[in-house]
Amino acid sequence: MALPLPPGLLPSEVNFLCEMELVTVVPRQRLDPIELLSGKTPALRPPYRADIPLWLALLLKKQRRANIVPPPWLHPSSLGEIVHHETHVDPGAFSAPPPVPSRADPSNPGTARVPVYGDAAMTLSPPFVPSNTSSAPANLLPYHWFEMSEVLLAHAGDDIPASGEVRRLVRDLQEVRAAKMREGMVSLGSGGGVTNLKGVGGMELAEGRGFILGVVDGVRRIGAGAEVSRREEEEEQELHGRAGGGRGDEEEDEEDDDDDEDMGF
Amino acid sequence: MDIDDILKEVDPTFNTIPPETRDLQALTRAWVAERSTPELLEWPPDNLFERISNRIKAQIEKIEDMTGDMDPRTNFALIVIQTELERYKFLMRSFLRSRMAKHQALLHNHYLSSFLSAFPPALQNLNDTAGNISMIDQPDNEGAVFVRLLRGTMVTGRGVDADGSYEGQEGHILILRWSDAKGIVARGDAEVV
Repeated sequence: MALPLPPGLLPSEVNFLCEMELVTVVPRQRLDPIELLSGKTPALRPPYRADIPLWLALLLKKQRRANIVPPPWLHPSSLGEIVHHETHVDPGAFSAPPPVPSRADPSNPGTARVPVYGDAAMTLSPPFVPSNTSSAPANLLPYHWFEMSEVLLAHAGDDIPASGEVRRLVRDLQEVRAAKMREGMVSLGSGGGVTNLKGVGGMELAEGRGFILGVVDGVRRIGAGAEVSRREEEEEQELHGRAGGGRGDEEEDEEDDDDDEDMGF
Repeated sequence: MDIDDILKEVDPTFNTIPPETRDLQALTRAWVAERSTPELLEWPPDNLFERISNRIKAQIEKIEDMTGDMDPRTNFALIVIQTELERYKFLMRSFLRSRMAKHQALLHNHYLSSFLSAFPPALQNLNDTAGNISMIDQPDNEGAVFVRLLRGTMVTGRGVDADGSYEGQEGHILILRWSDAKGIVARGDAEVV
């Protein structure tokens, strides 16, 4: 019997995704490549850095076989910059995420290149784009920012410079963004049917999902009757307008000014 | 061969994704989508699931071969291999489990409608949707979902007060109805998050 889970990822499942993010480690012991289902691991040779999935880095860290290099965005100065941006520069939106893979310039992290051609068959997305390695950009929060900072602070706190300050800044950031999420609720559900949450994080979505989608679906159910009659009216007006020339347009003008622009009058 | 094919060949980001990463990305994407949408989705194409199943079987055999070896270095490799294996098994199981739950809901509805059709018309309407609460748990395809755009595309959404088109850019995370998102997800222009 399949256990029906509510739709949407649980926070534990978002953590599971985050554990597939690549992070940079400095090995303390040699480790030969291991043939895994996800490919061969890089040879670990102290003191050379290597990028490996977070779950493996945590395993090595636990056994004191490696240290984890925190991603540049997790440094106090970077987090301070992001908090400043979120509170003062652009308080109405989430700060920008790192450039998307097809436009990110691999030779110059943090900058975008002119898109030549996106891989039509397979576009990688988090956790499979390296936005938490030591070469990832500072000042830009990746999709799994919250869960990544939590897990690194919990299991590799001694690898993070000024971890107390980092912890405090992460909390600040979480609060600032949670407030934005709540304020954003006002416009949800009404309007054009598409709401952009650019820059939102994975854990923020998981935690806000029940509430956000509940609001959107609630607005839809309450307004279902009005929506049906609006659509019928619009259809009728379209027919009317086509058949009777200008008549329909005038009625439209009186009823709803906003629609006029959309319909190109 | 057209200009796109030529550009693909010279583009350093194309074809550099190893097949194992592609498969894991595809499986992860399919799992998240199945976990987050109201509807039973299409079975992943290109034998993705079957291919990963076979590789898991081979990996289990490898573990069995390695267990006899008592070299401490192999021992740690074994822990790593097993840890990863458990992660794959979790993905596969959770993926199948959420599909089964959706199947059961569909079957349940099917039984209800089969039995009910034999009853007099006045008794058929057991699904009283008064108060906007459905007695029968049907997938709500109008339910809202979150999607991430994988490339720039025009997104059309229906709303209560107005319908709208939106010029979405790669990386944008949108809230819209599943019925409006379905098309762009099927085209590979977006993924469910």
